Amino acid sequence: MTRAARKAGAAGLIAPATLVVALGLLLPLGLLFRYSLNRFVPGEFMVDALTVENYIRFFTDPFYTTVLWRTVRIAAIVTVICLVMGFPLAYVLARTQSRFKNLLLMAVVLPLFVGNAVRAAGWMVAFGSRGVLNASLMGLGVISTPIDIMFTETAVIIGITAVNLPFMVLSLQSVIEGIDRSVEEAAFNLGAPPRLMLWRVLLPLAMPGVLAGGILTFILGMNAYATPVLIGGPRFQTMGPLVYGQFIEQNNWPFGATVAFVLMAATLVLTSLSNILVHRRLHR
Amino acid sequence: MARLELENLTKHYGGQATVRGVTLDIPDGEFLVLLGPSGCGKTTTLRMIAGFIEPSGGSVRLGGQDITHRPPWRRNTGMVFQSYALFPHMTVAQNVAFGLEMRKIGRAEREARALEALRMVRLDGLADRLPRQMSGGQQQRVALARALAIRPDVLLLDEPLSNLDAKLREEVRIEIRQLQQQLGLTAIMVTHDQEEALTVADRLVVMAEGEIRQIGSQQDLYERPADRFVAGFVGRSTVITGQVREPGLFESAGGLRLRCQGATAPGAASLVLRPEAIHLDPPPDEHNRLEGEVTFASYLGPVLELHLRLSAEDRITVHLPNRGGAGLIRAGDRVSIGWPQDTGIVFAGTA
Repeated sequence: MTRAARKAGAAGLIAPATLVVALGLLLPLGLLFRYSLNRFVPGEFMVDALTVENYIRFFTDPFYTTVLWRTVRIAAIVTVICLVMGFPLAYVLARTQSRFKNLLLMAVVLPLFVGNAVRAAGWMVAFGSRGVLNASLMGLGVISTPIDIMFTETAVIIGITAVNLPFMVLSLQSVIEGIDRSVEEAAFNLGAPPRLMLWRVLLPLAMPGVLAGGILTFILGMNAYATPVLIGGPRFQTMGPLVYGQFIEQNNWPFGATVAFVLMAATLVLTSLSNILVHRRLHR
Repeated sequence: MARLELENLTKHYGGQATVRGVTLDIPDGEFLVLLGPSGCGKTTTLRMIAGFIEPSGGSVRLGGQDITHRPPWRRNTGMVFQSYALFPHMTVAQNVAFGLEMRKIGRAEREARALEALRMVRLDGLADRLPRQMSGGQQQRVALARALAIRPDVLLLDEPLSNLDAKLREEVRIEIRQLQQQLGLTAIMVTHDQEEALTVADRLVVMAEGEIRQIGSQQDLYERPADRFVAGFVGRSTVITGQVREPGLFESAGGLRLRCQGATAPGAASLVLRPEAIHLDPPPDEHNRLEGEVTFASYLGPVLELHLRLSAEDRITVHLPNRGGAGLIRAGDRVSIGWPQDTGIVFAGTA
């Protein structure tokens, strides 16, 4: 095969994926951005314009900035919890010699077999004010009024954490598995107790996994939809449900597009920032 | 530097014993080598000394103190790993200084001592490199410097040379031995490579199936092996199976009658012969004189290796010193060989 032909062959192989990305992502994204610069006139749906007034409205109205801040906060807290809870689990999975290792890995992924909405609906049944938990506790006389579990920020954080944890664990596990066990032993041998071994050797070497898992979890947290809607309740607003509301309920496409773009930009900026910070710490 | 005593050290995994009752007393400054095939328990023994494996029984005493249940980071042992185990995200200097940092030694002294350790392995010029920018031999010398920098009570070497190519292996093992002698270190090395073991050791321990088979000098193991296993594992040898007919007379399975020493009790036995103990064209009064057909001849440089068929059942390997102008013996030739009765070693039993 000539060089040109080989090149053409390679191009042919990557073309389908490129086309899907271009048509399925970039085109709608471009359109969406264009819409966000349009004007919304009630009754007239969308009027062609080139204005940033939607963005000004978003950033000057405390309601919307509060929603953005809440979303970032929830995503960040979820990421930290996933990291703290996921690291030990990922470590055990990476280092185990058990012949049930594949089964254990399956168990970690198992929650993903259930859709977000289905899981959240299950939690409503379990943790609602007349749900299984409250009913049992009241029936046993442990409590007299139902505990508010549903419809709180805590509930939403727990919900998103449960969904995101497998992604964190898998990202960490694959990286930790690539770290030579004898490096940890060398640290112990040189006098490092487990805490220092973790901090000075294991964590820096696992940083690519921490970063990958962290970014994945953060992005999923920022864009969560079903969990905040079903567990947070109708008055609990985060960015994902807000976009949906503007598009479907308010029919305000320009502002919906604006919210979507702010969400995307915030996610992008924050993940790149953490990426840069981590790399700087690693290459001091 | 200190004396290391292992007493009845044992490790079971599930009902299976990988190390059974290892007792060793290693005086200050001795280089001891644990030699044995894979799975013989030598690495497990070393890892119990380092504290990576909790013994099922017995004790480890270092410098008079019982450290059996002390965690690895509170034992002052310096370990060199087969895979080097350098910290890939730290420079050579940071790697070597790590143990000193853990001992809370001040920056200035730390750097000086790290550099001194690097100078010992002649790598002080590469202190700012990352491990991945170095060759395997250099990485292993950094690992050695890192272990030496903490001034360990005992240096532990876990097959340190097996990832290196043959020429480097020879260089680094001589370097390890010289440093150990210079610093008067107590050292224990685990290896399955007998040449490596013979080069560096003051004393050797041959292990098999979790047990010590023999402890002794190079000469002890080679010339006075305790059993057939040691005889077969240390050095090349030919094993001829057969029977002891009467004191001093061995009859092979193929019917050869051979004079030997140390065989008193009649019964099944095997005769072990070193290939270089056999010579060509023996004098008429030699104890054992035999004829055989050469089935295979190869020129190895310093020696010529011949495989001979002595009878339908009996084969023997012979090493002849190369005195030049050789290459005269070829497969198919008939030669006469012989050996004195005191060169063979007879072990009772068939196994």
